[in-house]
Amino acid sequence: MKIMKKIIYILLPLLSVATIVLAWVLVAAPEESQMPGLAETGAKFIDVMTNKISGATLPIHILVSLRRVLMAVALAMVTGVVFGVLIGWSKLFKSLAYPIFEIIRPIPPIAWLPIIILSMGIGESPKIAIVFISAFMPIVINTFAGMRMIDPLLFDAAKTLGANKRQLFFNIAIPACTPAIVAGMKTSVSNGWMTVLAAEMIVARQGVGFLIVRGMQNGDPALIVVCMFAIGIVSALVSVGLTKIEGVLTKWKNA
Amino acid sequence: MVILNNSELITVKKTELDRMKREAMKYTTISFVSIILFLVAWELLSRYGIIAENIFSRPSELFKTFIYKLSNKKPEGNTLVTHFFVSIRLALTGFAAAVIIGIPLGLFMGFFKAMRLYFMPIFEIIRPIPPIAWIPIIILLMGIGMAAKSFIIFVAAFVPCVINSYLGIQLTNPTLINVAKTFGASKWQIFTKVCIPASTQMVFAGVRVSLGSAWSALVAAELLASTSGLGYMIQMGRNFIRADIIIVGMLVIGASGALFASLLALAEKRIAPWRTK
Repeated sequence: MKIMKKIIYILLPLLSVATIVLAWVLVAAPEESQMPGLAETGAKFIDVMTNKISGATLPIHILVSLRRVLMAVALAMVTGVVFGVLIGWSKLFKSLAYPIFEIIRPIPPIAWLPIIILSMGIGESPKIAIVFISAFMPIVINTFAGMRMIDPLLFDAAKTLGANKRQLFFNIAIPACTPAIVAGMKTSVSNGWMTVLAAEMIVARQGVGFLIVRGMQNGDPALIVVCMFAIGIVSALVSVGLTKIEGVLTKWKNA
Repeated sequence: MVILNNSELITVKKTELDRMKREAMKYTTISFVSIILFLVAWELLSRYGIIAENIFSRPSELFKTFIYKLSNKKPEGNTLVTHFFVSIRLALTGFAAAVIIGIPLGLFMGFFKAMRLYFMPIFEIIRPIPPIAWIPIIILLMGIGMAAKSFIIFVAAFVPCVINSYLGIQLTNPTLINVAKTFGASKWQIFTKVCIPASTQMVFAGVRVSLGSAWSALVAAELLASTSGLGYMIQMGRNFIRADIIIVGMLVIGASGALFASLLALAEKRIAPWRTK
């Protein structure tokens, strides 16, 4: 009985993957189906790895998208942390700037696309701007939350030991909210990755988002599926990488 | 050391409270002034041509456009109210389906090992693909009708519902389960009476995330393929180079998103009052 159970438990995950493959094959099977078959998708994959579409192979398209995310997130990190720390540290600054931030925050980053394209054209800057918006929000929110949730005991202890305001800020507040900032960075990278796809889908000549929409416009479903896989794999790799980085940056916390 | 008697202590507390109240008042005033200053500066800067008027329409203009669009179909073909209801209907259909299917699935996955083993790999494969990346294939397979768009929203909202419900069950305090076992609870009772209530907070957090993600997937879907809805309206605003329409649309999208989030928070308070502070 026990062995039976064990065998079933080993079989279930395999069955699960088999279900996906089977579902795919079934959807793709009818002659008139738009869904590409396994072989077709595989062939397409090799095709985009070697042949250029709009001047780039698939890896280059991915790198183009990643570069946009990276630049925008770097910019958002710097400005977002500064802004978040300021509203967390100074009540005056918070009451000045936070309400406006709160009005803007619920607007999904993607909804910024039309106005940004209208005002910035179709070059590289509108894509960076839109990714910046999506990456900026979580960093600010997390930094702010991190500042607010600092254990007051830490401040009291430092004050008792004669710390001045500057020391309280740099030696207590900033290190104490680092884990929150790093967590915000993780969210902002995955937000940024999602937003860059949306931006590229609407206006771009390179990048995976562009590629996937090219598949839609040309009625080339195999290209779409290849892109979906590529996007999924990159997302998974990015999130694993970020978790690693998070571990390194907040080592002292878990030690 | 100063020792205060009771009545003195109360007066100290009172003055302290007064001070805090006054402080709070002061900062609220600053906030109001800051918003008003922001709007006035925007208005003036655009009026005197320092920021481009055709890109950042002034607040007074936006207000006029908002009122106008409430009852006028020009230029893109529908009133703001129609766009709003089209979007809401789409979003709620996809979102409701995701909640109704996703939460029970996640709860079962968290509690029953067999369910977990079967469904987890499927999730691990699907989860990293951002909802937006599903749009092209869904449009190609299902067209651009209502069904396709609600399905996109469903995909966006489904994953956070499942994952959080699953985690909520998994993170149930083992002590609670052991206590229930000691008192002779059956497996099903443990599931329904201990694990599900204990996971409520996580479930609601998931629903919150999926609401946000549904709303933003909706905008994406409407930007890419639709003939009405708020996303369509702002996309058309871009085609007609009407920044006022875009910004009004953005504000309506933001405000509705915020409204739903607060309705959800209210629901959470009603359904699980024991967990919310």
